[in-house]
Amino acid sequence: MPFEDLINQGGRGAPVAELDIHAASEEQLMEMSAELGLSLSLDEMKSVREHFAAEGRCPTDIELQSIGQAWSEHCCYKSSKVHLKEFVFAIDHPDVIARGDAGVMAFDDEHAYALRLESHNHPSAIEPYGGAATGIGGILRDVVCMGAQPIALVDPLCFGPIDSDAPLPPGVKHPRYLVDGVVAGIRDYGNRVGVPTVSGAFFFDERYTGNCLVNVGCLGFVKRSEVLNNFVGGPGEVLILCGGRTGRDGIHGVTFASVELKESSEEEDRGAVQLGAPITKEPLMHACLEVNRKGLITGMKDLGGGGLSCVVGEMALDAGCGAVVDLDRVPLKEEGLAPWEIWVSESQERMMLATTEDKVEEIMDVFRTWDVLATVVATTVEEKRTRIRWHGEEIFDMDLDFLTGGPEYCRPYEVSVPAGEAGEKVPEIPALSDALLSLLSDPNVASKEWAIRQYDHDVRAATVLRPMVGPPNDTGPGDAGVLRPLPESHRGLATAVGCNPWFTSEDPYRGGMSAVDEACRNLVAVGARPHSLTDCLNFGNPEKPDRLGQFREAVRGLGEAAAFLGLPIPSGNVSLYNESPRAGALPTPMVMGVGIVEDVRKCVSADLKEAGNPLYVVGETGREMGGSLLYRRFGGEGGDVPQVVLESLKVKMDLLLEAMSEGMVSSCHDCSDGGLAVCIAEMCIGGSMGASVTLDALGELKAAEKLFSESNGRWVVEVAAEHEEDWQNLMGHHALWIGVAGGPSLLIGGTGMDIRVEDLKRAWSDPIWEIMG
Amino acid sequence: MMRPEDIRVCVLRIEGTNCEEETHRAFQAVGCDPEMVHLNQLTGHAPQASRRSLEDYDALAFPGGFSAGDYVRGGAIFAARAKSALGGEINAFVEAEKPVIGICNGFQILVELGLLPALDGPSDVPTAALFTNDSGRFECRPSYMRNESRGRCLFTRKLPRGRTVMFPVAHAEGKLMSADPRFVERLEDNDQLVFRYVDPEGRPAGYPWNPNGSEGNVAGICNPAGNVLGMMPHPERSLDPCTAPDWTRRPKKEGDGLAVFRSMVDALTR
Repeated sequence: MPFEDLINQGGRGAPVAELDIHAASEEQLMEMSAELGLSLSLDEMKSVREHFAAEGRCPTDIELQSIGQAWSEHCCYKSSKVHLKEFVFAIDHPDVIARGDAGVMAFDDEHAYALRLESHNHPSAIEPYGGAATGIGGILRDVVCMGAQPIALVDPLCFGPIDSDAPLPPGVKHPRYLVDGVVAGIRDYGNRVGVPTVSGAFFFDERYTGNCLVNVGCLGFVKRSEVLNNFVGGPGEVLILCGGRTGRDGIHGVTFASVELKESSEEEDRGAVQLGAPITKEPLMHACLEVNRKGLITGMKDLGGGGLSCVVGEMALDAGCGAVVDLDRVPLKEEGLAPWEIWVSESQERMMLATTEDKVEEIMDVFRTWDVLATVVATTVEEKRTRIRWHGEEIFDMDLDFLTGGPEYCRPYEVSVPAGEAGEKVPEIPALSDALLSLLSDPNVASKEWAIRQYDHDVRAATVLRPMVGPPNDTGPGDAGVLRPLPESHRGLATAVGCNPWFTSEDPYRGGMSAVDEACRNLVAVGARPHSLTDCLNFGNPEKPDRLGQFREAVRGLGEAAAFLGLPIPSGNVSLYNESPRAGALPTPMVMGVGIVEDVRKCVSADLKEAGNPLYVVGETGREMGGSLLYRRFGGEGGDVPQVVLESLKVKMDLLLEAMSEGMVSSCHDCSDGGLAVCIAEMCIGGSMGASVTLDALGELKAAEKLFSESNGRWVVEVAAEHEEDWQNLMGHHALWIGVAGGPSLLIGGTGMDIRVEDLKRAWSDPIWEIMG
Repeated sequence: MMRPEDIRVCVLRIEGTNCEEETHRAFQAVGCDPEMVHLNQLTGHAPQASRRSLEDYDALAFPGGFSAGDYVRGGAIFAARAKSALGGEINAFVEAEKPVIGICNGFQILVELGLLPALDGPSDVPTAALFTNDSGRFECRPSYMRNESRGRCLFTRKLPRGRTVMFPVAHAEGKLMSADPRFVERLEDNDQLVFRYVDPEGRPAGYPWNPNGSEGNVAGICNPAGNVLGMMPHPERSLDPCTAPDWTRRPKKEGDGLAVFRSMVDALTR
């Protein structure tokens, strides 16, 4: 039978087609998957056929579309779940309050914070402005639907080299164009909704050229008594769709996110990119949070990937019930959408509320005052099925356990042995001073002020530490953003990102651990005790065993580190298929850490404060050059990727936090890209002050190794001179004296290094301004 | 005589207004009784119980944000909506010399409403504009400003003349312009020039201390009667000494912004 004959357009009164899946050959099953844009495999199509055989009928197009959404990698984590269960999900902590669309953790006896990090990679590669903006929109909804007010945004971004004009593969946009668009998208959305962007990161590497990564994180704040479920209260309730209208934008976003980008993605997949409208979102957040505060709703969930098709089923099933939907009631942007399009559209700025009939009018009053659309579209029922009516006619009737169950795979994976020292090629480097200036100018290290100042990091008036620290308009880099969520309390919330994709590429296990180490280092550097983590795991095609091997090893490292440190991961996101025609993107386990500050008045910033204060390094420096910025910049290869010694990290974090709470520490900065030398230089830049340093205490390493090794678990600390004795007594052998702050230059004994602070500043401050203007 | 807790402040908002919570907090911090009010609550487009009347308030604040997205011009949509629904009430409020403050987007709204600079009294069409920053970019950074008021502006009376304070800025359209060639001079003559961008030592300075290129480094102005203040920098973000940009270097006892709100309380309770 020809494929066209399998489609019965005229069988129903509604604009819905029936597909004769039972008569289809294997080839035709795949054709059906492709024609409808389902991205389902042959085995998956066969399971669908079995299901409908048992039901004794043919599926409608809207039913197949719904399965395509629910069974996508994006929605059901079919390739990653088995590994996450093994290493991540089991980490428990009494402070975990909820693991919903965002995680929720206890802040104090009365309050909680929500956290979540998510990717918006593929849309941003096609349309950077819209992709990044809707990424912000999506992460805000995830936090709001826990009942929490968003209070901070965090944006780690990965692009190809912005300072290169090498020819690009067909269909790939220039990294400069992408950076410009993504930053503008984050700016225009984040600033408009009034949520400060307090932290983030930029990573630049050739292997992101064809597949940039746009990860967006959000922190929320909520009274513990107002934390909300993402599901309905039970049968007999109504579902209210509120916010934006539904249109053809964002159709098949999740299936697009679950395949590799290709040359023709620009043409074929633009419709999968949604359009954001922050000025619909802003009042929507107010209205949703207001009806929650007033106790008018039983549950809330955002419409993200898969749109209505995912939200209705999940909200009902998680409460053990089903739903009957009147799809024709959904407010549309334009006439003429097919029912399946309405059902799977990912149009932005929409939320679904669950409530009881008697509360509907009061809810409508709130939404009317905010000029936000709200419409009752469904009722919940006892039977665990979703039924859809279209002007009275039933066009969809599916068992929810089957629909949202989704497949779960244990795909084959390969773990390769890291090259380590055996494959090491030591690069030729210029004079050490020149090497340091060169590393400071590398876009991975250089000042991101160009982007940071376009983001409002002060709105809500609760930002205690910003991404840049030091004298106003003459700043250096900070380690973590710190907020004071309650004006009446000095308790603070800190957030920072950790990730080293180069370590992960060479040694995924150590890379995963390093991400946790770095996030914790950043938090501790400002005086925050690490409390929880969330992650966004950006990896390649899981159907390729080497890519899945990287994923598994990184998750193992990340999970082991988090478990040892007692840090739960109450939410997370996986983004696979980050590949482009040329190569896979670097494996990128992005970690966002959240820490608690007991008293924000004791926070520490990274800028040097006072001439004459002694400087110490905390943590051991080893010959661990693998993946280092020095090797990348000057053509080194292989080498040991820095390990993480968890026991040592924990001891040092505790000691350092104690020293900070005792007021001994004047400034502190974590050692990461570019090692000790870049770390000290950045402290000099932030403080407009030089330092005299000697590295004798670091033992038997070559000067370049002492300066540029990126061993984990290290900080440089400026100790208040009057507290030096107490500091030494407290830290013992965990802190090594390396010199004194002060003077117009950074002098490093035994290396010939003598660089004026203004030269450090120029090398660090100018490059990205010059490239991005 | 009025007590601080009797001062009812209407913190007016629509969609996209996003600094209302900290503005509300600022009035609370100086002992007033502020309320966040949606424009629809003043125009009757809200349930009976939540309707409000502007004349019941003693002070009015237009907070910062991106009202209605500001897709036309900063503050233009909010101003048009407010004017068509309650233009007369706002003008009566100003004429009664009740305090009105507009911060950032709120300043843009006051200019769009013709309530500032109002050199020759309130006007039907705007007589000035807050133009795109010289840098062409949104600028979020600390800024310093000097109190230039000789006493006309009721929001700076508790701040010594010539005192330099730190309030952050965060805007893309903050360059105050007018077609009047003697604009800055006239503002000065009328004692309507309230704040000037300066460097940390209090000297007039260019970018980045003046973040937008405003002529004469003008950061904030008042109307001729001194009861309406508009400013681009955010005093409500400078309440907590721990949110100052350099507090880890130079700790302060309290934020500079309190003086603005305290001055208003002082003027109403005197």
